[in-house]
Amino acid sequence: MDVMSRREFLARTAAAGAAGGAALALPSTAFAAEPDAAEQVGTFIDLSLCAGCGACTTACRDKNSARFPEPVEDIPDNWPLGKHEDWSDKRDLTDRLTPYNWSFIERVEIEGRTINIPRRCMHCDNPPCANLCPFSVQEKQPSGAVVINEAGCMGGAKCRDVCPWDIPQRQAGVGLYLKLAPGLIGGGVMYKCDLCADLLDEGRPPACVSACPTGALQSGPKAEMERRARARAEEIGGHTYGIDENGGTSTFYVSPVSFERIDAAIARRKADLPEGMRTSVPGMAPEVENYLDTSEGIAKSYAIAPIAGIAAAAWAARSAWKGGSE
Amino acid sequence: MRARTMSARVKRQSGENRLVHWLVAVSTFALVFSGFGQMPMYARYGIADLPGMGWAADYHLTLTIHYVAGAVLLFAVVLHVASALATRRTAILPRRGDLAESARIIAAMLGRGEEPPSHKYLAEQRIAYAFIGVNLLVVVATGVVKVIKNLPGVDLPALAVFAATSLHNAAAMLIVVGIVGHLAAFAVKANRQLLPAMIDGTVDRSYAEERHSLWYEELAAADREPSERRSE
Repeated sequence: MDVMSRREFLARTAAAGAAGGAALALPSTAFAAEPDAAEQVGTFIDLSLCAGCGACTTACRDKNSARFPEPVEDIPDNWPLGKHEDWSDKRDLTDRLTPYNWSFIERVEIEGRTINIPRRCMHCDNPPCANLCPFSVQEKQPSGAVVINEAGCMGGAKCRDVCPWDIPQRQAGVGLYLKLAPGLIGGGVMYKCDLCADLLDEGRPPACVSACPTGALQSGPKAEMERRARARAEEIGGHTYGIDENGGTSTFYVSPVSFERIDAAIARRKADLPEGMRTSVPGMAPEVENYLDTSEGIAKSYAIAPIAGIAAAAWAARSAWKGGSE
Repeated sequence: MRARTMSARVKRQSGENRLVHWLVAVSTFALVFSGFGQMPMYARYGIADLPGMGWAADYHLTLTIHYVAGAVLLFAVVLHVASALATRRTAILPRRGDLAESARIIAAMLGRGEEPPSHKYLAEQRIAYAFIGVNLLVVVATGVVKVIKNLPGVDLPALAVFAATSLHNAAAMLIVVGIVGHLAAFAVKANRQLLPAMIDGTVDRSYAEERHSLWYEELAAADREPSERRSE
């Protein structure tokens, strides 16, 4: 059903695709042409072009290494469960997300074909991570970049739990909680890709995009990136991911194989991983739902509740005026 | 209904007030519980590991509870405020000198001095009402902002969201303090006489006469005016 609706959708946007096809001739980053920092930025990831070289991951690590957590020597255990999350002795891991590695290349074999998938935060349109942060210390910036305020983060990891891809990663022994009641409240700081928000503000592309030697990673105005992704999918008879997922994101993947199969392949790889390494291996389930979708319906009652309250008050006041008693 | 002046009990709380009170009580309890779940606390402190408590760590569930209970609280608060304005009810609003009077009442409870004569509400009840009421208004107003922020297509300024969240969290904590104080009041035996007021709406006549003498006089005067002959 998912595949059908996707195809239908693609068919309907064939016209847009044709227009986008022409746009593919543009350079890999559209920033040079339109350096408008206030505009929402998108990225287009063409899996048919990704060679899995890892230049993006290296560039990401180089760019962000100064921000990587330096935990205290004696990391306190979280009372009462007696655990804490420490990745500081696994800083060299580049094949998964950690607080020290904010992007990685997922590599899956599907029918003898290797598909390399650069993975990182999708930068959602309505990000549950930022919206549901209990202290609102995570924000979606005007560029569309979803950014954690590391100074205010308590490390509750709720953002990771409500993210369909488990993207944010926790490091204990750093951050605000150490100044409050370490061990008793909080648990560290969450880290993830911020789409190089500082570079975006200067009208420049993210480090991963600049580093990509094959043009598999492109960035620019969001609408333009979506157009390119749709056009490319049309061109190769491929599939898109990130346009509708989680209520819409600003990261648009195009793959020659379906994302159902990619998701299943990731799940198989995940099952083979040693225990303790299976968390935060993001899948690619198509049309994954946004955490906030169901509450959207309930939110309508917030328009009705005050009206009902005033109506009830009018009724109560009427009987009070009539009866003369309180 | 028996004639008011003949009854051993006097009417203290209208059906509307009792409805509002219990809607606020039940929704606030659900909001506090689900709100702590959103902090997140239940997995962190092992509460979700207790038998039958696994659901408490499900953010989707606690968020849904929070939304539904929030709408109920919003309804109750609007009903209460609009009705109080429409009928110009002011008996429960704090007055000048309430802090000093509260101190005298508490001293009297501890056996020092006489309790001053009171209107429908004791000075400390008026203060408690204002404390919980103001914090409820803050929590409802900021909660509505937070609901709007979660809607797809809505991006509020980060600073406004941070301010709303911080106020929401702080006011919620103060409400918990207020509820603890509210319930602790019933540790004092004299206050327990007020419990039926929130159930069947009445209090004992002699209690009203003794503890809320100024209110009782008003009631008696109001009773005499329209039906002076009948009641005497």
